Parts: sequence; C-alpha cells; structure tokens
Amino acid sequence: MAEAAESPGDPGTATPRPLMRDLKAVGKKFMHVLYPRKSNTLLRDWDLWGPLILCVTLALMLQRGSVDSEKDGGPQFAEVFVIVWFGAVTITLNSKLLGGNISFFQSLCVLGYCILPLTVAMLVCRLVLLAELGPINFMVRLFVVIVMFAWSIVASTAFLADSQPPNRKALAVYPVFLFYFVISWMILTFTPQ
Amino acid sequence: MLQQDSNDDTEDVALFDAEEETTNRPKKSKIRHPVASFFHLFFRVSAIIVYLLCELFSSSFIACMVTIILLLSCDFWAVKNVTGRLMVGLRWWNHIDEDGKSHWVFESRKASSQESKTVSEAESRIFWLGLIACPVLWVVFAFSALFSFRVKWLAVVVMGVVLQGANLYGYIRCKVGSRKNLTSMATSYLGKQFLRQTTGDGQPS
Repeated sequence: MAEAAESPGDPGTATPRPLMRDLKAVGKKFMHVLYPRKSNTLLRDWDLWGPLILCVTLALMLQRGSVDSEKDGGPQFAEVFVIVWFGAVTITLNSKLLGGNISFFQSLCVLGYCILPLTVAMLVCRLVLLAELGPINFMVRLFVVIVMFAWSIVASTAFLADSQPPNRKALAVYPVFLFYFVISWMILTFTPQ
Repeated sequence: MLQQDSNDDTEDVALFDAEEETTNRPKKSKIRHPVASFFHLFFRVSAIIVYLLCELFSSSFIACMVTIILLLSCDFWAVKNVTGRLMVGLRWWNHIDEDGKSHWVFESRKASSQESKTVSEAESRIFWLGLIACPVLWVVFAFSALFSFRVKWLAVVVMGVVLQGANLYGYIRCKVGSRKNLTSMATSYLGKQFLRQTTGDGQPS
C-alpha cells in the first residue's frame, strides 16, 4: 500500500505503522469520491481497503434468497466479487495498453473507490424495496441508480482522465462506463425473492 | 538441601554454556513481542481453520466467506505493518514520487550492537514459519478447489493466495536485499555448519 507518511530509513523498520492513520486515510478517500475535486489524494496515497470494503458490502446487499433456503446466495456473492475485481483489472490493463501513465494499483484504487455512489444507491434501493412494488417504486429506483451511476462516472474520470494521452481519452473512459453500467444493472434488476 | 540444589544449578549452567560455545544464546531465544507473535500466527491459522471447518460449523456459505475475508485482511495488514517490523526488522512499501512514478521499497534494519535491537531467534523462526507455511497451504487449497469442482470457494482461496503470497514475496525481497548480502549470508551459514561439524566430530560425546 502506498504510504506517503512513511519515510525511508532505519527507525521506520522498527516501529509498527499506526492503524488509525490507515483508517483515516480510507475515510478521507471516501470523502474525496463523494465530493470530487481536482486533487491527487486518491492517486498519491492509494490503498485497496476501501474497494475491498465496498465490494464486500455490495456483494452482501446483492444477496438473493431467504435465510431458510438451503442454497443461500453463495454463487451470487462470488459473482459480484469476480465482476468487480476482474472488471477493474481489465480496465486497468486497457488503460495501460493505451499508453496511460498511471500505475496498476492506483487505477484499481480509483475504480474501486468510485463504486461508493453505487453502493449508496444499492442501500437506497433496498430500503425502497421494503415498500410495495410497483411502477412508482421502479421509477424511484431507476432515478436513484441513474444519478449515482453518473456520479461514479464523473468521479472516476476526474481522477483517471489526466493520466491518458489526449487523443485516447474516450477509448480509455468507455470501459469505465461499461463497468459501472454493469454494476448499476445488477443493482437495478435486484429483487429480494 | 537448598545448598545442594543451588550447587546442582550452577553445574547445569556451566555444562550448558560449554556445549553451546556462546554465552548470549539464552538471551536471543527470548520472545520479545509475545502479542505480535501471537497475532502473526492467529489470523493466518484461524483463516485456514475456518476454511477447513466451515461446513461443520455453519450452514451459511456467506458467513464463512465474510469471516475468512475479514481474517485474511487483518492478517495482511498486521503482517505487513506490524509483525514484520517488530519481529524481524523488515519493511516493504510503495512510494509514489512527484512525477507519479511508483517505486517499491524493501528495507531491512541494519544490525546494531544494541541489545534491544537485535532480532531474537525464536521470533524469527516463528515469523518465517508462519509466513511460508500458510501461502503454501492456500495454494494446495486452490488446486483442491479447482479439481474437486468446489468452484464457489475459488474466489476466497485465490484471495488467500494473493494476499499471503504478496507478504511472502515482499519479505523475501527485503531479506535478500542486495546480492552482496545474499552471498555473505550463504557463506557465513555454510561456514558455521562446517565448523560445527568438525568440532562436533572432534569432541567425545
């Protein structure tokens, strides 16, 4: 994990890294995703804890099936994991092949953290689904998912676009669009049966 | 009675010292960081135990999977940021400089004459044993999951291999450091073994 506060040298090899510093860094990055500004925080001090937390939360919320069914949502849990991580790795490889100058883990970090709006959308959808189903219910969910999807795209392109060569920006951005579209689709079509 | 006992004690200590040839061996085998040593092994071993016994304990695949993921994450953070530094004085991390280039830094604590900074042998043994044995087990689990078609576990097992393998690779690179260190380590180790064998053969048992 990138450790901007670490400095090379002997004393550091004897002292353990404080946990609160890492937790605060994760929290700060969540804030940066919610209020995207031109800043380097996500890129400079990358870490993959936020994406892991978001991925597990999303996978847990996308569970279909009741508590007393035998085949509880195992495959769906692993499915979400695979889609998120495999998708993020593929986008990263794509951007590197297009000549982007961003490192592998930095790109994974940005893509993972920008799933936060969609996780919030999932939470809202699950709450909305507690009410009675119907066209209004669907319209509300559709609106929420579209807004959060746009938010994810804006946040991730704000961080990623600078690292691409200017004539390749669209080529690098459209897989991101696809990635968040697939996740939004999973969220929108979720019904707890 | 008591005097006889104390005489026996001093005799035992003298024999012990003569056999070992060094007088500071007892100090080095103390465990200086018991909490760190415990947690170094605790998270790794519990993750493996939960994986093996999950079908017995709980019928919920999700609960097991989340527990294992949690344990693997805690283990990764603890081993990378705490136990490696306290127990063996090694550190590896990633640094992104002003140009946006990423560098991986592998450091090891220089040997110093201070007692408090030397690495204890017992801790070093515990550290490397835990570090090497567990990723090997996860690789074995990966093959077994693949070939017995329990594919739903593959995501968790791959995560185990990746996280623990990353720590293993990082610390081996720290240890190997520069080429010079490796050859000098190898020659001094072989030299010690050779010496021990020749003096061991020379002394009557």
